Amino acid sequence: MKSLANEFFQTMAEGAKKHQAAHAGDYELLVNGIKNETDLAEQVGLVDQMVSQGVQAIVIAPADSKALVTVLKRAKEAGVLVINIDNKLDADTLKQAGLSIPFVGPDNRAGAKAVGEVLAKKLKAGDEVAIIEGVTTAFNGQKRKAGFEDAMNAAGMKIVASQSGQWEMEKANGVAAGILAANPNVKALLCANDNMALGAAAAVQGAGKAGQVQIIGFDNIAALKPLLADGRVLATCDQHGDKLAVFGIEAALKVLKDKTTPADQQTPVDVVVK
Amino acid sequence: MRRWTDFFILIAVLAAMIVLFGLMRDSFFSMGTLGTVANRIPALALVATGMTLVMVTGGIDLSVGSLLGFCGAVTGVLMADLHWGLALAVLASVAVGALIGSTTGAVSVKLRLPSFIVSLGMLEIARGLAFLTTNSQTKYIGADIEALGAPFGGLVISPAFVISLLVVAAGQVMLSQMAIGRHLIAIGANREAALVSGLSVDRPRIFAHALLGALTGLAAVFNCSRLGSADPNAGTGFELGAIAAVVVGGTSLMGGRGSVVKSFMGVLIIATLEAGLIQVGATEPVKRVVTGLVIVAAVLADTWRRK
Repeated sequence: MKSLANEFFQTMAEGAKKHQAAHAGDYELLVNGIKNETDLAEQVGLVDQMVSQGVQAIVIAPADSKALVTVLKRAKEAGVLVINIDNKLDADTLKQAGLSIPFVGPDNRAGAKAVGEVLAKKLKAGDEVAIIEGVTTAFNGQKRKAGFEDAMNAAGMKIVASQSGQWEMEKANGVAAGILAANPNVKALLCANDNMALGAAAAVQGAGKAGQVQIIGFDNIAALKPLLADGRVLATCDQHGDKLAVFGIEAALKVLKDKTTPADQQTPVDVVVK
Repeated sequence: MRRWTDFFILIAVLAAMIVLFGLMRDSFFSMGTLGTVANRIPALALVATGMTLVMVTGGIDLSVGSLLGFCGAVTGVLMADLHWGLALAVLASVAVGALIGSTTGAVSVKLRLPSFIVSLGMLEIARGLAFLTTNSQTKYIGADIEALGAPFGGLVISPAFVISLLVVAAGQVMLSQMAIGRHLIAIGANREAALVSGLSVDRPRIFAHALLGALTGLAAVFNCSRLGSADPNAGTGFELGAIAAVVVGGTSLMGGRGSVVKSFMGVLIIATLEAGLIQVGATEPVKRVVTGLVIVAAVLADTWRRK
């Protein structure tokens, strides 16, 4: 797991624990997370510890798509099955390491594009929009930004600003307020996660532009529900966080049982409105 | 006269920044910008006021960012899950802040440990508590708390902003006019001398930490009111902004010298810098580099003038 401090990973871990409780006879589960999402060294250490504990399979949401490859190679060489969830490992780095690790997870770009298309229907071609990105080094953040861009470019919108809100509500609030002040004609804010959408919604209200600026998010966290209900946020994307780890675990169990070669597997993403 | 020169220089720096950003981006001179800066100020001003009182004694508190997150988490759970009213939630948040702040102060003062290290420990503890309290979930509070951070009477100024100005004024009076303030400065200037002259050096320092904690608790409520929700990750890195504002305002890291009003000028400079960098469309790396340079330049200028 990445940071268990983050609601998204917490949901993922709880989903996995529930699954294990329901299948207690089939497998044992160890859930480990790191302190913050950028603490790579700690996650590398966790993988090493898991290997020395003699686990059969590791289902990992890598904190970095390149830096974890080396330690995962060590794990595989020690005979541990590795399944990649959430944040996809970098294809080139895997190739260089001569490693093949199956990815079981959602297509963030397709999900972001789908939410972006819902938004595009509410706007007209030529409207100005702005993107609030996640941490710029995060792979899923990059994919979501690309998905938003796909949808906006296809519909002929003008992206006038794109800045990072660092995945955080408060930072996104400041960035959104700045973007709204600098670009009075912005008609929509596309946020790479829901926490940032909450911050953006507060900024729109603060700027006295309630109802004039559409907002979309990503993740479908519980705190967003009231804003979806009254239209302050138009739509978000549910990648079924509670099932993400479970999908990975199920894939791992299947491979261990059937002795098959694991393959990439795409998990569903759904657009959520109101 | 010296203090007026310092004050004039801070105003000149602020004015220069405003002109510079204005030249780079027309829209910088707008009510929107004023609103953005005015929004950012209350939480930072409250914590910078408390931090000034701690820093004049030669202490520091690195845990205020995490404490902001924890007090916000308490507010969020009380209001969103347990449906407490705003007034009670504010009291609870301030009380929790004061409790944690006085703990940091008491442990550091009574056990003779550097406040740098004790508060570093508290930084971890308070963040952990924030995640525990909220079960790592963002809490949506909504309209019950938003009024506090929303502009009133068609102005850009919110109740939170007015309260923070009052706190800054009170903090300045306390530090420069009241016995406790002179006492804090005396401790920072020369602890042994203060001790020899019969002053208590422990209790005022614990008091300063407790006050900083309480103000952080209030800042947490203001922060939640602006966002309508409580995020357990709130305030990550916030301590650096607060300390930077205090240092930019000329308070010595060694203690013995400081002014709450000048810290507030530091807050204005930091908040304007943040808003300006966003509006000119600076990328994340550029923002960080520029902010760092401004802090170092401010301290350097201050040190040179004193030589």
